[in-house]
Amino acid sequence: MIGQLVQSLVDALSAGATLGLAALAIGLVFGVIRLANFAQAEIITASAYCLIFAWGLGWYIAIPLSILVAIAMSLLMEFAVFSRMRSANPATLLIASFGLSFLLQRVYELMFSNNVRTAPVASGLAQTVEFAGIRIQLLSVATIVIAGVLLLGLNWFLTRTSQGLQLKAAAADFRTARLVGIPAGRVIALSFALSGILAAAVAFVLTVQSGAVGPTFGVQITILALVGAVIGGIDKISGSLAGGFLVGFVTSLLATWLPQEMSNFKDAYVFVLVIGVLLFKPSGLLIKGRGVART
Amino acid sequence: MSIGDKAGSGDGEYERGLCVQQLAVAYSGVPAVRGISLDVKAGEAVGLIGPNGAGKSSTLLGIMGAIARTGRVLVHGQDVAGLPPEKVVRRGVALVPEGRHVFAELSVADNLRLGAVARRDRAGYSEAMEHVLTLFPILRDFGHRQAGLLSGGQQQQLAIGRALMSDPDILLLDEPSLGLSPTAVDTVFEALDVIRAAGKAVLVVEQRAEFTIAFCDRTFVLHDGEITLTLKPEDAEKVDVLTKAYFG
Repeated sequence: MIGQLVQSLVDALSAGATLGLAALAIGLVFGVIRLANFAQAEIITASAYCLIFAWGLGWYIAIPLSILVAIAMSLLMEFAVFSRMRSANPATLLIASFGLSFLLQRVYELMFSNNVRTAPVASGLAQTVEFAGIRIQLLSVATIVIAGVLLLGLNWFLTRTSQGLQLKAAAADFRTARLVGIPAGRVIALSFALSGILAAAVAFVLTVQSGAVGPTFGVQITILALVGAVIGGIDKISGSLAGGFLVGFVTSLLATWLPQEMSNFKDAYVFVLVIGVLLFKPSGLLIKGRGVART
Repeated sequence: MSIGDKAGSGDGEYERGLCVQQLAVAYSGVPAVRGISLDVKAGEAVGLIGPNGAGKSSTLLGIMGAIARTGRVLVHGQDVAGLPPEKVVRRGVALVPEGRHVFAELSVADNLRLGAVARRDRAGYSEAMEHVLTLFPILRDFGHRQAGLLSGGQQQQLAIGRALMSDPDILLLDEPSLGLSPTAVDTVFEALDVIRAAGKAVLVVEQRAEFTIAFCDRTFVLHDGEITLTLKPEDAEKVDVLTKAYFG
């Protein structure tokens, strides 16, 4: 029983870490330009395709390449689409990102067909190890480690470097940041690049988990990440991260501990939670008050 | 005092300082500022007063390029038209926004560091920091404190200090006394006096008419987006002049 509890907690931490990273990627961009980028899903998908196709060349090529592809996709979206919509309101930007998402899914269909592509990406991590009678998937541990390293690195970047401080300031109050002299274009590009790196990490974890990638590969986690970001408070970088983690953690525990006939509806319970938060704390659980109006 | 002097001192394009010519700002087609002209020389403080909705803040935001505008804004004789705010800052103009808008979650020191992002002269960073900390000693004491935890007066000092970190020649302030205690207002305006004496051009938007007129070398009264009156310090105590300034 204790073994099962620990195992489920490690799995939940891992799921929370993955979703936390995905939500953080969305929160970083939202903080700066008020874009809840649904097309983040297609950045994850592109990075995952890259892992699948390049894995045969060696992990030392596939992983850096998948990160580069994610950063490039993210920056391309910004320059080709969103930079042309600077004065649009958040709702318009969200709808534009939906459109871009569907468009890219069709492009992936045309390029790679509707069938999933497979490769044994880091298959060693799919094994389980057993100690003290507790069986734990290596991937769960690896996911927690990857998320930890990325978060520590990001925290260092945001608090210790000038560029990071500028990004943090822009995410808190973009208009004032510009009035202080922080270059808007550079800080926006930086937020997209960082969200690309986070997307690549998510793509890696999911690709190792499933070993198969299709055109809508990144959609499910991006929906949940958006939900998580809203629950935690998309207005704050830490809110998005915590919200994403919470959704992943709770969903994983529900999947393990709910009876079979109920666990099929685990996502529905999460959305009930969302409705509750939107009704009683619309600014997000981690935001004080009802959030700050932004112009 | 000169009623109806719409152009401030009119035709001057100063080598050092700010010269605004026919500045107009509109929101969704509704005019907020209707072609005003004014100038602020180096070492001079100029006030902009008027009732709510007169266009005072819009004037400052228009100068900064933070909102769409027409007309010319000359900084040391060079037009900054079409430049975004971050580039206007690099030309030597800094704005202390209404409501202070310090980065509440960042430390006082980090707020000041961010103010220096647009410095044209990176070498002078330490000197500028020392200057700001001497001008506002409280910021030295609270360097590691979260900016959001400071009092209103302390936040205003931080906002001015942050603006000074970019080494501006022209300092714009939007209602620096708003919500402050009389003591805090005195601290802020004493600092502005030092800043003016250091040769910077200061343009201050204020609600406290009497106080502003007395402090500034010249004060323009803005009404419905137009300059309707120019006042001198000696007009500060003339009740009829102030009444006319606000109620026409």
